[in-house]
Amino acid sequence: MNFLRLGLWLLKRERSSGEWRVLLLALVIGVGSVSTTGFLGDRLQRAMSEQGAGFLGADLLVTSPRPIESWPDAALTTSHALEFSSMVARGDAFQLATLRAVDSAYPLRGTVRIARQPFGAGEARPAQPPPGAVYVDPGLLPLLEAKVGDSVQIGDAHFIIAGVIAEEPGQLGGVFGLAPRVFMRADEVGQTRILLPGSRVTYLYQFAGEAEALAVFAAALKPRLDRTQRLIGSREGVETLRGAFANAERYIQLTALVSLLLAVAAIAIAARRHALRHYDQAALLRCFGATTAQLRVLYGIQLLVLGLIGSTIGVVIGAFAQQALAGLVLPGAAARLPALGSAPVIAAIASGLLATAAAALPALLRLIRVSPLRVLRRDLPPLPLAAWISLVFSGTVLLALTAWYAGDVKLVALFVGALLALALVLALLAQLALLLGRQVQRMAAGPLRFGLAQLLRHRLDSTLQLGAFTLALFLVALLALVRSDLIDGWQQQLPPDAPNFFLVNIAPHQEQAVADFLRGHRLQASALYPMVRGRVVEKNGQPIESTLPEGDRDSPTLRRELNLTWTATLPPNNSVVAGRWHGEQRGNVPEKGTPAGAPLLRSDPSAEISVESGMAERLGLGLDDTLGFRVGDQTLSARITSIRSVKWDSMQPNFFVIFAPGQLDALPASAIASVFVPPEATAMMPQFVRSFPGITVLALDKLIANIQAVFDQVIGAIQLLLGFLLAAGVAVVVATLLASLDARQQESVLMRTLGAQRAYLAKSLWSEFLALGLLAGLLASVCAEIAMALIAGRLFDLAPQLHPWLWGVLPLAGAGLIGSAGWLTTQHVTRVPPMQSIRALS
Amino acid sequence: MTPPDPTQFPADVVAARGLSQRVATGEGTLDILTDVSLAVKAGETLAIVGASGSGKSTLLGLLAGLDQASSGEVWLLGERLNELDEDARARLRARRVGFVFQSFQLLPALTALENILLPLELSGESGARERAAHWLDQVGLGARAGHYPRQLSGGEQQRVAIARAFATDPSVVFADEPTGNLDADTGARIIDLLFALNASARTTLILVTHDNALASRCRRRLQLTAGRAHEAGQA
Repeated sequence: MNFLRLGLWLLKRERSSGEWRVLLLALVIGVGSVSTTGFLGDRLQRAMSEQGAGFLGADLLVTSPRPIESWPDAALTTSHALEFSSMVARGDAFQLATLRAVDSAYPLRGTVRIARQPFGAGEARPAQPPPGAVYVDPGLLPLLEAKVGDSVQIGDAHFIIAGVIAEEPGQLGGVFGLAPRVFMRADEVGQTRILLPGSRVTYLYQFAGEAEALAVFAAALKPRLDRTQRLIGSREGVETLRGAFANAERYIQLTALVSLLLAVAAIAIAARRHALRHYDQAALLRCFGATTAQLRVLYGIQLLVLGLIGSTIGVVIGAFAQQALAGLVLPGAAARLPALGSAPVIAAIASGLLATAAAALPALLRLIRVSPLRVLRRDLPPLPLAAWISLVFSGTVLLALTAWYAGDVKLVALFVGALLALALVLALLAQLALLLGRQVQRMAAGPLRFGLAQLLRHRLDSTLQLGAFTLALFLVALLALVRSDLIDGWQQQLPPDAPNFFLVNIAPHQEQAVADFLRGHRLQASALYPMVRGRVVEKNGQPIESTLPEGDRDSPTLRRELNLTWTATLPPNNSVVAGRWHGEQRGNVPEKGTPAGAPLLRSDPSAEISVESGMAERLGLGLDDTLGFRVGDQTLSARITSIRSVKWDSMQPNFFVIFAPGQLDALPASAIASVFVPPEATAMMPQFVRSFPGITVLALDKLIANIQAVFDQVIGAIQLLLGFLLAAGVAVVVATLLASLDARQQESVLMRTLGAQRAYLAKSLWSEFLALGLLAGLLASVCAEIAMALIAGRLFDLAPQLHPWLWGVLPLAGAGLIGSAGWLTTQHVTRVPPMQSIRALS
Repeated sequence: MTPPDPTQFPADVVAARGLSQRVATGEGTLDILTDVSLAVKAGETLAIVGASGSGKSTLLGLLAGLDQASSGEVWLLGERLNELDEDARARLRARRVGFVFQSFQLLPALTALENILLPLELSGESGARERAAHWLDQVGLGARAGHYPRQLSGGEQQRVAIARAFATDPSVVFADEPTGNLDADTGARIIDLLFALNASARTTLILVTHDNALASRCRRRLQLTAGRAHEAGQA
């Protein structure tokens, strides 16, 4: 006989068995979860690979905060662009946008598609709009209540919206961009009169050509660039972004893996029950002459087939779910991702088979070790398999699965450690909850008392059910709290008159007019802070990098230009933690009659600066250290005379470095201020924008709403994955209930022969499962409140708050889910006639 | 009585010499069987009788190769079981040994026909389905082929089990309390059926029973008392 065929035949005859269904269900959930994230991650990675040079729009890209005037000689095609933020206004509507001013050659690689309607397919066109026109991000149109063909104001100039950006190089890189993009002509930037000395602009220089010429050019260029300037190859650009995505993808995959691991628990319980119920069958087959190897084939093929069926269905569900996930994570870009790949299918099915093996093989091994003597002595258990063998096997397989997804030893250790700690905590909490249940049971009567007694009698099962379900409910609740509380909570702790608008890029000649405007509308503004941009280059006369440990040399503080300001007054929400505030100091003010061409700055050993405490810590700075700054093409030094702590979320202009007046005063600068505009006065902001078109007005409410929207997207994506976790929790509950079904049936038979009616038994079952669900919900509420309080207090310095609605919703949700699942699984024990049950049990 | 030497009696289907079985308990060692010897020829019927706990089922299990003795020797179908591991004993049992159990041991997920089919499929018989149907008819349940064990009475289930035991044309059938779960009338009918089929198939039948009526139908009777055996006279 072909034992393969026999195994499949027996499987087919037993296909309606409860434990096989639970095993299948758990596998579908677990594999569905990991394949959802697997598919999306694969599509993103392939999208980035396929874009290649098209991703950057060039073979080489150089970014710089300042114009680069000279280049190494090279026979390369070039393109120049500028990128900066500014207001785009139409009527009373205005919106912060990211403007990319391009020349006619942009982009050198990749495609730009422009459409007539938002989210249309568009046609390939040069990115440079016709004269007097702009192309806009589709998201900008509703914000300005505009359509293609309408006119918008940018700075002092007006432009016609000639089309909508449907596709541009590197679109995936900007998935979470906060300001919609606008393409304009580089030769029309001057008309807008937006850019002032000190304006934050990114200069983009693109190069394309033969690989050898590019390599020579890059090698010659690199030494000329400073830390604020970057040279990016198309491969490097893709790899950088791929690396960022890979990290995020790893964490998301691990979230999905939790569902698979919980499913493993359900599979293990179902497999154990299946083995228990088939000891007699295995013993009988041995009597009929089946050897160990033949039994291994027979039962192994059953597991393999179930594993393949469950994994395949899970993959199909994952394929659909990933589409929903893509829509949440990449709204607008999801349709442009490549089609589903085959690699995630193989990975997901392999994961499902490995999970099945880890969960079910210990039970299977016991099954094939059943002695044939059991046919004569039914109390004879199978030969014991050393517990450590099962543990080592299952543990190794699960660890291998985790390592595969985590891809990093440290992350594996963290993940496993966190899971074990969580399991321990949940087990302890479950025991406490059951103790509480015992007290209630003592006070109860009738079916409720009986139902609660059941809960306490199957202590191990109840602990497992409580633990699994509490975990799922807790995580779902925590995410909901984070989604609703974090930003709201932060906003609530702001004073009611905290500034809600930032005014940036105020030209010196506008300062008085701005002050008059605000005063005329009785608006309370912060001080106007002048700003120039400079970067830190030296510490105590040495290059700053050489004074730092290797790992700290790539600090963001050194890679970007800082906003340097000067004031004699200590800004609000700043407090001096070391040294002495410089106050009124006269530094190196240019004298009258300074010869033309003389530098505007001279290093003055008495020039003083105040440094923010975080920056001081990162760069190892202390009082009396001297910092050298590169401002434009000049260098100046100043001595640190105070270190400040800054309340960065005070909604005031805040600075890492503040000079004493006199050092930078002569430099061309723009100013920044923040202002509180009460709700009844916001109607005047469009007038402000029209009056001062070159000033960037950051509406913090809108910005926060944008951040909230991005936050919601990410949280929504994670909640989708947690749906799988919740389903896995239900599978664990059903599996444990099935495992206890025979015992329940015996109890039911006894109760009914003693006179208990069906309604009594039904009520006791409902009491048991509703109590379990309520307890799980209560535990989850406790855990969620504590976790949220810790997150809010420790990470975000927010006051913890209670969420009364949670204590109603979670227990009700738990009671509903577990109550329904439990009743559906066990209700037939109340319906089967006692005699039939007695026959079946005997 | 001198134990028989199986090498002198090649016609023996089952033989045992100096068989003892001991088990460890919490209080020490328990002797279930002590120095049991017997030989059963082809075609013979042997009843192993004794009070509850006398070691009857233990002896049956050792003779059928379902277990290994603490000491002594067992031969089954010419093979010395002590030299065989469990898989080798299983291969020996395939096709050549049939079983009837007190609790019927039908697989609940299989129909009556499929339960009889099972050992035939295991041994790779050709025409297995036809053979199974033939034996179901032989026990008078041809019309119940598609019924599951839960749809059959105790007597009907045992008839299916008997058909299953004989379907592979075994050399020896071991039966453990075949009427133990049946009422007297049903039990009597089962006994008749068992012996009728045994006679027509010319198999060796070794059964364990505490039913005197059943024991008296066997040609030989082995009495077990406190783990020791003696022949109790022949029919």
